[in-house]
Amino acid sequence: MRGIVKHFPGVLANDHVDFEAAVGEVHALLGENGAGKSTLSNILTGLYRPDSGEILLDGEHVQFSSPRDALDVGIFMVHQHFRLVETFTVAENVVLGDHRGEGRTFRLRTRAIERRVAELSKRFGLAVDPRAPVWHLSLGEQQRVEILKALYREARILILDEPTAVLTPQEAEVLFTTLREMAADGRTVIFISHKLHEVKAVADRVTVLRGGRSIARVDAADATLRSLAALMVGREIESGRAARDRVAGEPVLELANVWADGDRGDAAIRGASLIVRRGEIVAVAGVAGNGQRELAEAVAGMRPATRGTIRIAGKTVRGGDPRSAIAAGVAYVPEDRLGTGVAPSLSIASNLALKGYRDRHASHGPLLRLRRMRERAAELIAHYRIAGAAPSSAARLLSGGNLQKVVLAREFSGKPRVLVAASPTRGLDVGAIETVHAYLREAAADGVGVLLISEDLDEILMLADRIVVMYEGAIAGETTRDDADVEEIGLLMAGGRDPRAD
Amino acid sequence: MNNSLLVVVLASGVAYGTPLLYASLGEVLAERSGVLNLGVEGMMLVGAVMGFWAVQRVHAATGVSLALAIGVAAIAGIAMAAIHAFLVITLRASQIVSGLALTIFAGAAGLSSYLGNDLNLADNPARHHFDAIFPSSMQHWSIVGPILFGQSLLVYASWICVVAVSLYLSRTRPGLNVRAVGEAPASADAMGINVTRYRYGHTLAGGAFAGVAGATFTLSITPQWTSGITGGAGWIAIALVIFAFWRPALCLVGAYFFGALQALSPQLQAREIHLGPTELWTNSLPYVMTVVVLVFVSASGARRRLGAPASLGLPYVREER
Amino acid sequence: MRIERRLRQPRWLLVAVPAGSLVFAFFASGLVLLATGHDALRSYRQIFDAAFLNSGALGQTLTQATPLAFTGLAAAAAFRMRLFNIGAEGQLFMGAVTADAAGLYLGGHGWPHALVIAAMVVAGCAGGAAWALIPGVLRAFFKTNEIITSLMLNYVAAYVMTYLIFNTESYWRQTTGFNASVFPTSKTLPNAAWWPAANIFPLGGGIAILAAVLIWFLYTRTRFGFEAQVLGDSPRAARYAGIRTRRKILAVMAISGAVAGVGGASQVGDFSHQLDADPNGLQKQYYGYTGIVVAALARYNPLAVVVVAFLIGALQNAGNTLQGADFPSGLVGVMQGIILFSALGGELLVRYRVRVGRALPAPEAA
Repeated sequence: MRGIVKHFPGVLANDHVDFEAAVGEVHALLGENGAGKSTLSNILTGLYRPDSGEILLDGEHVQFSSPRDALDVGIFMVHQHFRLVETFTVAENVVLGDHRGEGRTFRLRTRAIERRVAELSKRFGLAVDPRAPVWHLSLGEQQRVEILKALYREARILILDEPTAVLTPQEAEVLFTTLREMAADGRTVIFISHKLHEVKAVADRVTVLRGGRSIARVDAADATLRSLAALMVGREIESGRAARDRVAGEPVLELANVWADGDRGDAAIRGASLIVRRGEIVAVAGVAGNGQRELAEAVAGMRPATRGTIRIAGKTVRGGDPRSAIAAGVAYVPEDRLGTGVAPSLSIASNLALKGYRDRHASHGPLLRLRRMRERAAELIAHYRIAGAAPSSAARLLSGGNLQKVVLAREFSGKPRVLVAASPTRGLDVGAIETVHAYLREAAADGVGVLLISEDLDEILMLADRIVVMYEGAIAGETTRDDADVEEIGLLMAGGRDPRAD
Repeated sequence: MNNSLLVVVLASGVAYGTPLLYASLGEVLAERSGVLNLGVEGMMLVGAVMGFWAVQRVHAATGVSLALAIGVAAIAGIAMAAIHAFLVITLRASQIVSGLALTIFAGAAGLSSYLGNDLNLADNPARHHFDAIFPSSMQHWSIVGPILFGQSLLVYASWICVVAVSLYLSRTRPGLNVRAVGEAPASADAMGINVTRYRYGHTLAGGAFAGVAGATFTLSITPQWTSGITGGAGWIAIALVIFAFWRPALCLVGAYFFGALQALSPQLQAREIHLGPTELWTNSLPYVMTVVVLVFVSASGARRRLGAPASLGLPYVREER
Repeated sequence: MRIERRLRQPRWLLVAVPAGSLVFAFFASGLVLLATGHDALRSYRQIFDAAFLNSGALGQTLTQATPLAFTGLAAAAAFRMRLFNIGAEGQLFMGAVTADAAGLYLGGHGWPHALVIAAMVVAGCAGGAAWALIPGVLRAFFKTNEIITSLMLNYVAAYVMTYLIFNTESYWRQTTGFNASVFPTSKTLPNAAWWPAANIFPLGGGIAILAAVLIWFLYTRTRFGFEAQVLGDSPRAARYAGIRTRRKILAVMAISGAVAGVGGASQVGDFSHQLDADPNGLQKQYYGYTGIVVAALARYNPLAVVVVAFLIGALQNAGNTLQGADFPSGLVGVMQGIILFSALGGELLVRYRVRVGRALPAPEAA
């Protein structure tokens, strides 16, 4: 790919990017969030069209006007959010849209397809039942379906976008082995990530993107974590754990044997007990899908607890009622910013008042004090330096980082006792991440009890005073920052079992 | 025996139910691709008037004339559906408002009346119409005679359509694709399926079916043209799709059920049977039942297996950031 | 052709696009007329005369516009919150039923004029709200889609209304007198229940305007309106914010139904002075559905609804009056449809920017 340029309303995502990959190699595309990696790969797979630049496959120019064209030449991408049809079976998903050879038939030969899928699945060690409906499967299993799709189509180039987000460290190892096997098999694997140690572990060569530009291309063997980090960020970042001298106070959040149901009706939280003290940051580590999201929602009152109690500052809170939780002093920064944390079409000012509109300074009984709301919004925007759009424009127009600032500004300004932050830095660039970390530390320094849920172990190790691991809805283990051992945490995240035994 | 209330109602039920069946089959196709088309009533009325016009104006043998009329009705339905398709697929307008607009545009106070009156189609019976095709002796067989053998070609053709649409959706590749488009357009798009093309195609097909459904009135049931001849059948067809859980085979069951209920009222009157308050129930029954079915599907969480295609009513945009 | 979402929506666009689409609609309708051999200008002239200028025309326009204002408000109140209440038609019928009963009873028992009217309005509210709460409850508690449930209930309401006059000896039915023995008729309201008019302007029209202002105020200046806005935009964000979602849904549906119900009361009190249960009467006017069109054209702004209702009412009046050999029937529906299509198409231009060709736009400032 040479000189690729792509821009979206308000942002230049790819600025004359060059990228190349060879047969039989695993090539990593490294960069922080917002560097342009996803855009570039979406162009390669035909989802987006570049504004200018060229793509050459085996030295020949190619142009993709739709994903179909890219699939036709053997390029396949496994996205972060899987492109599966949940109500279909595994086999139906694998075969969807395939129109080579077997795919040319009008009639759908379900049995034959299921057999082929079972074959492939056995050969490459990707265990999954072809007849199972996809919504039954775990995220890791769904990822296997995506890879099977690529294998079924005999894809030459396989692109994976942040594939380890849904895997335990051990499952990730298995994935890396599979990827190296596929590369050795004569394919090209492009591995998109912002995680340095993964890139170093699996890749042969690494291309680094920063701010929409291609900065460097290096051999993984020659690079170190520090050198890669420096290239990725453009400056030296401080790694390691910041010293802390906070003293934790009395318990401000107590969960006692809490059980709660998930979206599918089964129990997502099974007897979780947890304490967060004033001024303390407690982080919940775990692979996505083990009940962390549900835990956050339970504390915030958005999910009722079927058993057990939740106490805020000593008082039991009624479950399943967000208003009681808010009244008790729980602030919640949800994982899904745009879908839950803000009302996307409403103005920024309205969103800043989303929880506080009932307070005395925002409304007079049933009537709103609109001017006062606008003034307050202006104050918050200035203080938290929220940029990118006017206070009256829709919230959805903000960048990820600024949107998160809006959410944080609103939650902090409510003077909470407990702050629940679920994956608060997901999708943000390094500057925004540092800002969010600073806010969290500030909140703790102010005496707020912070419950941080994160899939990023590095982040957890940097911020947390205590670390708790969740596995299959229960607390699998607990440790303090000083005693934390990454390997052991990883094992706890996987339930202490070797995934190869599947 | 053949004159008993039950047999007559069932036989008429099949006849009245046939336009419902055609229209609901068409709407199933459209909705499976994710497009809600509330303009069915309008499309049916335009199909009715244009099909009638064709049969009045064309001078040919019965068979040819009727075949042509059905073709014209289908094309008329497609033309109406094209307006809706363009607005909601390409221009991403609200599907609800667009469908309602189509009903108003093409409906009893709109285009269909405009055309019907301008072309002087009222007050004349159809030159040719669809009659029963089986010999009269078979029609007199006990019970099954009137119900199964006393029907017109349109009825038998509708059975073939049910089988065809059913097999199409469940056993063919394009059928799999369209179901994917309806459930998860982003995934379908990423797998190289042209979402726009499928949505257009199936919405237009829905229009064709609706057009034929309308022509059933003017070429078979009545067979004459008056303004608003479908009498709300289009709305029942929309409800029918939900009642049938978006499955063609159940559309047949539902269509004949609703048709029978419609046939019940005039039969009761003709036989001077007055059921008092029960009449209110029999009239309302199709609508109440649809509501009950809907509540059942939403409340029981059987949504995934039995519910609407997930993207129904939502426009699909690929390049949104 | 590429379509990009707009970052900012310039003010002028919000006026220019609807105006432009209206002009386009007239143009397109004119083409349809010409294509079918009619004199477009003459037809438009006829419409204008029949709507406003002819003797008695303005009064008839107001007669059409009043129910449309009510059903338009009902639709706007609900649609603004993404509650697609298609049931204004049935809610209007039920409001007519309850208001008629109140008028018959209280008017017949010697209550003062003003109180009878007030009672009819309240009864209309109650009837419409109750009918709307059926799909409302189903939506709030069972997450059942309100589009189809409210639509189905329209038919049931129509049957109920017809049934009360044609199939039983109910309170609403006139049982004595020569006419009544020949054909089922409704009782006529006593004079105390007849709504007054200021010259040609019916009381219902005034109530509609008042309702529009109240609803506008409710949605833009109160906590209720704020919560409704959030709920309409993102149900998850609403729950997150501690908004009592179910109560909101019920409240908005009730308000929507109540307004439509008052429309029904107005039908009885202002115009028909009896319960018009004839299947070819009120039920063929489709006020409920046209109200949705009005609301859509008014972009769900309550104040604009009143204006649009007047214009569409004028069109409807012209259509009714001009029906005959001289004037293409169905033209009104065609024009309304085209106006709505143009408005829908125009919406695209407001929300998105359309770029034609391969010109490379300069990167916008972030």
